[in-house]
Amino acid sequence: MEAGWPREYLRDHTAHILVIALLALYPPVYHILLNSPVSAETQMLLPTVETMVGVLYFGLFAISFDFISGYTGYLSFGHAVFYGTGAYTVILIANGKLPLLGPGTPFMLSLLVGGLIAIVLAMLVGLVSFRLSGVYFAMITLGFAQVFYVFVRGWDYVATNPRDGPAVGPSHAEGFQIGVPGIDQLSLSIGVLTGDEVALLGSTLSGTEVSYYMIGLVVLACYFAMQRVIHSPFGRVMIAIRENEERAVAIGYNTYLYKLGAFAISGFFAAVAGGLFAGFKRSASPENAFYFLVTGDALLASIIGGFGTLAGSLYGHLFDETVREFLSKAGQGGGLLPYLRALLGQETLDATLVGDTTIGGLIDLLLNGHASLYVGLVFVLFVLYVPDGLLGTLRARLGGTFAEALPAKLWGDSE
Amino acid sequence: MIVEALAEFLTLGELGGVIVNGLAKSALYVMIASGLTLIFGLMGVLNFAHGSLTMVGAYLGGLLMVVTVTGGTAPLTRLGLFFVAIVVVFALLTMLGGAIETTIIRPLYDRPPIYQILLTFGLTLVIEEVVRIVLGVYGLQPLSDWQAALATKPQFLREPVALGPVSAGWMSLFQILLGTVTVLGIWAFLTRTRYGLYIRAGSEDAEMASALGIDVRQVFTVVFALGIGLAGAAGTLLMWDPTWGASVPLAAETLLPAFIVVIVGGLGTFRGTVVAALVVGMADAVTTWWFQNAIEFTGLPELVLFLVLVVTLIVRPQGLFGVEEVGGH
Repeated sequence: MEAGWPREYLRDHTAHILVIALLALYPPVYHILLNSPVSAETQMLLPTVETMVGVLYFGLFAISFDFISGYTGYLSFGHAVFYGTGAYTVILIANGKLPLLGPGTPFMLSLLVGGLIAIVLAMLVGLVSFRLSGVYFAMITLGFAQVFYVFVRGWDYVATNPRDGPAVGPSHAEGFQIGVPGIDQLSLSIGVLTGDEVALLGSTLSGTEVSYYMIGLVVLACYFAMQRVIHSPFGRVMIAIRENEERAVAIGYNTYLYKLGAFAISGFFAAVAGGLFAGFKRSASPENAFYFLVTGDALLASIIGGFGTLAGSLYGHLFDETVREFLSKAGQGGGLLPYLRALLGQETLDATLVGDTTIGGLIDLLLNGHASLYVGLVFVLFVLYVPDGLLGTLRARLGGTFAEALPAKLWGDSE
Repeated sequence: MIVEALAEFLTLGELGGVIVNGLAKSALYVMIASGLTLIFGLMGVLNFAHGSLTMVGAYLGGLLMVVTVTGGTAPLTRLGLFFVAIVVVFALLTMLGGAIETTIIRPLYDRPPIYQILLTFGLTLVIEEVVRIVLGVYGLQPLSDWQAALATKPQFLREPVALGPVSAGWMSLFQILLGTVTVLGIWAFLTRTRYGLYIRAGSEDAEMASALGIDVRQVFTVVFALGIGLAGAAGTLLMWDPTWGASVPLAAETLLPAFIVVIVGGLGTFRGTVVAALVVGMADAVTTWWFQNAIEFTGLPELVLFLVLVVTLIVRPQGLFGVEEVGGH
C-alpha cells in the first residue's frame, strides 16, 4: 500500500480535481460558446468572466464567514469589518499611506499584512465578544463592525472623500501582481484594465482572464488551508462547540481559546478576500467593504450553498451571482432583459397591454435592476424548504461528503 | 475651545434644547423598537424585516396623507387626518404581519433561531425591491425622501416654540406626545388586559402557558401582527420628520437603531426597551449638539450609538434589564 499513496491521494481528491477543472475550463468554454451559434443564449445564461472573478474573491469571503459561523455556530454578523480591513490595507499601502510600507510593497505582502491586521482586530473584538453567545454575539460583532464602518466613512486620511472610499492613485498605475514576490517570471498582474495578457496555445488570455486564474489560485490555497483546519483536531473542537459547547467544556477544552483562534483564522482569510477584491477593482468604498449588508451577502451565499459545508459558500455565491446577473443586467454582460428585447422585437415591445403600459415597459419594470427581489424570494424558499442548502442537501442524500462519495461511485470502494 | 463649547453646552437654553431633542429622539426610538421587542420577548424571533416594514409604513402613511391633503387643508384637519392615517396604517400592517406569521414564520418555530433571522433577512430583500418597483411605477426616487409627503405637514409643526428659556420645535413636542401615548398604550395592554397577561405568561414559559390552556400559537400570531403594526405606525410618524423621511434606505436606518435599543435594554423586557430608548435618544441628542457646535466628525452620533451598544454588552452582557436565559445565554 505504501507505494500507492499518490493514487490514493488523487482518489480522495477526485471531487476537488473535478471542481477545479470545471472552474479552470470556464473562461475558454465561455469564450467558445460566445462565438458559437448559441452565443445569445450563452450571454443570457452564463455569468461573464469578470463576474466570475467576483464570485471567486467574494466566495472566499463567504467561505471564511462559514468557517466561523457555520462550524462554531457563532454568527459573526460583523464579518465585513475584516473584508474591509483587507481591502483598505491593500489600497492604503499602494497609495503609500501606511507607515513603514511604501507603495512598492508587493501585493502578496499587502495581502498578508491585511490578514495580520485582521487577526489582531479579530483578537480584540473576540476577547470581548466571546463572553456572549447567540443573538448577543451576533449583535456585538455587528456593533463593532458598524463602529468601524462609520469611522472609515468619516476619516479623511484614507481618501479625499471618505464617503466614496479610497481608490488606487495614479502613482501606482501598474496592476497588482500575484505570484512569487520579487520574481517577475513567476508573477502576473491582475485587474480589468491593468492585468497582464498572456499568449497561450495560440490564443491570448485577456487581463480579466489572467486575473481569474491568478485570484483563483489564491482562493484555492486559502480554501485548502481552511479545509485542512476543519479536518484537524482543532476543527473537531470547533464542531463540538457548535453541537454542544457545555459538553466540550466538560471534556476539558478551553472553548474560549478555540473560538478566539477560529475567529482569528476566519478574519485572516476574510481580509485576504477583501485584499483580492481591492486588488482587482482598484477601489473600495465603505458601502461595498465595511457595511453590514456585505456580511448579509456572505450569509446569503452560505445559506444557499449550505451552512457549515465550507465549499458550499462558493457555490452559493455563484448561484446568487448567476441569478442576479441573469435577472438584472440591462447593459453589457447579458441576462434575460436584453435577450427578451432582442427576441421579441421592437413591434411586440411597443404593443400595449393595459392603458399606456407596453410589454417592453412591463419587462423593463419587472427585470431592470430588481434582481434582489428574486434573490430574496429564492433565499426565503431555501430557508423554508432547503434549509441545508445546495451542498448540505447533497451530503444528506449521499450520506457523507461529496468528496468521499464521488470516488466511491467512480472507482468502487477502496477496501 | 472644548471648554468654551462645554460652557455653552451647559447654559440652560442649550441644555434644555438638547434634553427636549433627546426626549423627541427617544420617543421615535421607542416607537421603532417596541414592535421588535414585543416580538422578540415572546417568540424569540429577531425580526430583521422590522426596518423594511417601518419603511412600508412610512410610504403607506405618506400615500394616505398625499391623497387626502390638498394645499388648502387647515392645519388641524391635517393633524386629524394624520391620526387617521396612523390608525389605518397600523391596521393594514397588523393584517400583513398576521399573514406573514401564519404563512412563513410559523413553520420555523422548531428550527434553531438563526433560521428566523435568515428568513426575515430574505424578506427584507423582497419587501425593499417590491417597494422600489412600485415607486418606479409612480416615478418616485427611492433614495431620497418623499417631499410630497413631507409637505403635508401643517405649518405650525415646522415652527419653534419657546418654553421659558428653552427653544424647541413643535415637532419635537408632537413626537414626545406620540411616543408617550405609545408607551402607555403598550404598558396598559401588557399589564391591564387578559391578552397582555397571556403574552407575559408566554414570554416567561410558553410550554407552561399552553399547558394551562392558553392558545400560545394564536398569541404568537397576535403579537407578531401587533409588532408589525407598531412598526408601521412608527414609520408613519417618521414620514413627517425631515431627518428621517419616507425613503427606501429608511429600512436600514431604522433597523440598526431599533436593534441597539432592544439589545441595550435587554431582550424580552419592555421596561428595558423604554429605558434604553431614553439612554440612546439622549446620547444621540448630546452628540448631535457636539457635532453641530464643536467636533468636526460627521459620523459622531452614529458612532456613539454603536459604542453605547458595544459598551453595554461588555459591562452588562444581558442588557440593562435583560433576563439571563433569553437570547442564548
